[in-house]
Amino acid sequence: MNLKISALDFIQEVKTGNISAEDFVAKTIERIQNVDDKLHAFLSVNQKAVDQARKIDKKVKSGEKVGDCFGMPISIKDNLCIKDSKTTCASKMLEDFIAPYDATVITKLKRQDAIFVGKVNMDEFAMGLTTEFSAFGPSKNPWNADYVPGGSSGGSAVSVSAFECVASLGSDTGGSVRNPASFCSTVGYKPTYGLISRFGLISYANSIEQIGPLTRTVKDTAFMLNMISGIDPNDSTTIDNKNEDYLSEIDSGIEGKKIGIIQEMIGEGIDPAVLSATKDAISKLESLGAICEEISLDMVKYSVAAYYTITATEAGSNLARYDNLRYGYDFPLEGYEFNSYISKARRNFGPEVTRRLIIGGFVPSTGHAGKYFLKALKVKSKLTKEINNVFKKFDLLISPTVPILPFKLGEKIDDPVSLFLVDINTVTANLTGKPAISIPFANSNGLPIGIQLMANSSQDKLLLQAAHALEKTVNLPEVPI
Amino acid sequence: MTMIGLEIHCQLTNLNSKLFCSCKANYRGFKINENICPICMGLPGSLPRLNQEAVKKATIIAMALNCSTPEKIAFFRKNYFYPDSPKNFQITQLNIYGDTSVGGTGSIMVGDKKIRITRIQLEEDPGRLIYEGSSSKNQITLVDYNRAGTPLVEIVTEPDFETPKEIRDFLNILSDILANLGVADPSLEGAMRADANVSIKGGKKVEIKNIGSFHDLEKAVHFEITRQESLHSREIEIVQETRHWDDRRKITVSSRSKEEDLDYRYFLEGDIPWVKIDPETQKTLSSQMPESISSKKERYVSKYNIPAQVADVLSSDKYYSDLFEESHTELNAKEVANIITTDLMGLVDTREKREASKFTSVHLKELADSIQSGKISKNSSKNALHEILKTGKNLTTIIKELDLGNVSDESELSGIICQVISEESQAVEQTKSNPQTINYLVGKVMQKTKGKADPSLTLDLLKKQIGI
Amino acid sequence: MVTEEEIEHVSKLMRIDIDDHKEFVEKVHSMINYFDILDSAGVESEEISMPEISISNLRKDEHIPFDGKLIEKLNHYKGTYVRAPKMSS
Repeated sequence: MNLKISALDFIQEVKTGNISAEDFVAKTIERIQNVDDKLHAFLSVNQKAVDQARKIDKKVKSGEKVGDCFGMPISIKDNLCIKDSKTTCASKMLEDFIAPYDATVITKLKRQDAIFVGKVNMDEFAMGLTTEFSAFGPSKNPWNADYVPGGSSGGSAVSVSAFECVASLGSDTGGSVRNPASFCSTVGYKPTYGLISRFGLISYANSIEQIGPLTRTVKDTAFMLNMISGIDPNDSTTIDNKNEDYLSEIDSGIEGKKIGIIQEMIGEGIDPAVLSATKDAISKLESLGAICEEISLDMVKYSVAAYYTITATEAGSNLARYDNLRYGYDFPLEGYEFNSYISKARRNFGPEVTRRLIIGGFVPSTGHAGKYFLKALKVKSKLTKEINNVFKKFDLLISPTVPILPFKLGEKIDDPVSLFLVDINTVTANLTGKPAISIPFANSNGLPIGIQLMANSSQDKLLLQAAHALEKTVNLPEVPI
Repeated sequence: MTMIGLEIHCQLTNLNSKLFCSCKANYRGFKINENICPICMGLPGSLPRLNQEAVKKATIIAMALNCSTPEKIAFFRKNYFYPDSPKNFQITQLNIYGDTSVGGTGSIMVGDKKIRITRIQLEEDPGRLIYEGSSSKNQITLVDYNRAGTPLVEIVTEPDFETPKEIRDFLNILSDILANLGVADPSLEGAMRADANVSIKGGKKVEIKNIGSFHDLEKAVHFEITRQESLHSREIEIVQETRHWDDRRKITVSSRSKEEDLDYRYFLEGDIPWVKIDPETQKTLSSQMPESISSKKERYVSKYNIPAQVADVLSSDKYYSDLFEESHTELNAKEVANIITTDLMGLVDTREKREASKFTSVHLKELADSIQSGKISKNSSKNALHEILKTGKNLTTIIKELDLGNVSDESELSGIICQVISEESQAVEQTKSNPQTINYLVGKVMQKTKGKADPSLTLDLLKKQIGI
Repeated sequence: MVTEEEIEHVSKLMRIDIDDHKEFVEKVHSMINYFDILDSAGVESEEISMPEISISNLRKDEHIPFDGKLIEKLNHYKGTYVRAPKMSS
């Protein structure tokens, strides 16, 4: 059995009876058991997955109506709620938390007969870009286990890349889907803000984050978007996409499309291998008939500072609810006064979360809000204006997803400010609400390089068409695991 | 000069659901923690779903208090840790990025005095804490979250009050307005609460919180003025602070928490986009607003010639004015008003009595019409009213069962009059010189009929038989 | 420049006890200091914008009880209360 097939191929094979969902899922679970000791993508594995697959096979055989996923094994980042199962956010604070309801994306996928093989690792509460801040230990990069897989959706990228599932759902607050996708050589998608319901996604910085798929191919991402996007009464920030079919016309190509090359994202600090890959991507796009031109987004310089100011502020508020009273971990309250109890209980947050919560208390506080938080909001507004202006003339924007190559575990964990700079190319899409995708494009000495394309709001379909065109020019080695 | 400002919290008890979820807005009557869901418990992954009707009702309140109503409203997070707040922040409104609160500046008249409204905001009520244990050592705090997320409208006034009496008058008028709008039931326990800020002689402002009822508010304000005056007379500085009303000792006590510990870190709630209330919707809301109390009063006086004082009482209480509106006709209006203000008011003066009574506007109309047509006497109508409140039976049945109907049968009445004339020959004689004496004879007939004789028919027959 | 006292104060405000004081403060320092770059963005006159929703698209006012007894899935005490530590008066 070939576990390396795409989601669309899997569906075709099960539909036609060439393979059974049960076999495929059983083999997938076996694969997880074989490789995950080394990679640590999974925090929990669904013991009922094979039984659930068997039921779908029965439906296929009896000619009963089957959902569009046909038992496709999907991994889910552990900050998405699945009813009656553990949702930990890779935090000791939520080690025992059982979600009492399904996230909207989970409800939609269940309806389409997807199978959740397990919950995958992440940086605690999605704060980080290496997955090293997971309270349950880091995940490893399948291309080289000494290297970080990126983050915060590291478990998602690893599980797709190492064939422990066919597709995964992650969340992207500042690049948390695209960054690990780039580091692990998978497709990673951050949709237009509001395209996918956040109901059931445990908030980190709610005003800019989105759930996004990680898949082997751009077509698979388009398929996943078809499954999970659309307006949701449970999330007032969702937009009506009129049931857009992202898969149809995916072969439209990019002839005549104008693509802006963002200067600020290929400048100082970029790895030469990444730069040359980017140039290569540009020339490939030009050879497909696109017109590429350098453009400048002034505010990108300030975007990372604005991003961390805004996300820390929202996190400080979103994570305030974890006071260990209504749910949490076992820590008796006898003898404590309220404030001292919760201050002690909240020590169970890891060091990075704690740092960001402290920053999140500082930057919006009386006396400091004007210097930090308010300015950050204004940078966000101005950056949005700048990018909207660019999109008046251009259809797409291109940059490397991450300006540097994957680095070793432990290499940057003690230097938060140098980690900040890894985010420079990805946060713009979050701050402006634009859709962005990372496409596996090159490989430098066994380490993957991803290329990022961005489009204007609600131009997700156009973005996927362009990404598909670029993807077709690529021929990459197979992951050495 | 004494300056007092108020922050009045009013629950929108007449809504079906909470501000951000579909749990019940009126949490009363539920078992502990039975009226909760992932949203009002702030569980990880839950998002607020703003109640459309709550925004409309709050807008209507703003309109009724002559406040400006912006075309876009925004919600903010007020961050603080407390066990009654499941998210450890409260979703509320502010005007830091322009006027984005549901109501802007406005005013209402209290007698001849104008009380200015600073702002009206829509926000969520927290849960309820219950303390067990007698000393602070063995204290246990229990939390019931049934109330968490109940829609609250906060009305903030300028410091325009000078005396507790002015506050009382204002709150009475405000309660009547809110009840008349049909947005809230101020008589429900805990449905309306208020904080006050007090300063004297241009001194520092002191906030008083934790006041359980309007009755206590007056006491708390009175205590605080006295306290500050006493400090002032002894030339002790009054510090700007928050004080809590100690309900048991009936005094205000300084709160331990320092100002700098209360940094609410307000910022925009990203889970709720700014809500557009377009001019068209505003117009519709304004046109759907119930008639105001003052307009009702004017109409009662000018259209039905009801005395101003009666009209005042009738219009300001929604329960009475609703009864009046539903039961009156051109002809019986005055009679209906009379029954309500002279007989009914003493019987249903509390919420409990109103809820227990089986009285409806149908009863009231029947009663007024029957008095006017002479089917029942004014006297008997009082007995009938008692019976209706108790049993809810219709008037015809009650008249029959209790034998309350007027004696309006001419032959029956003639017989009784004959009897009176023979018994009261002296008085009959007097009527010829002094016509007023006839009233004495009418009284005698009434006595014999236990008040059930039709008064005008009795008079006619008496005159005829005596021959005057 | 952020002082140690300020960070101490904020950790109280955010209700988290901190270990490794010195190292922790240094890291937070360097992170916050990086934000000083915002001063040179020249954005003082920018307006803040937010997404919008029409009032007619807000939730209808209906009472729909949650399916299942939620409190049983949460920490509960003395029947169905939630217990909190004692409050300082």
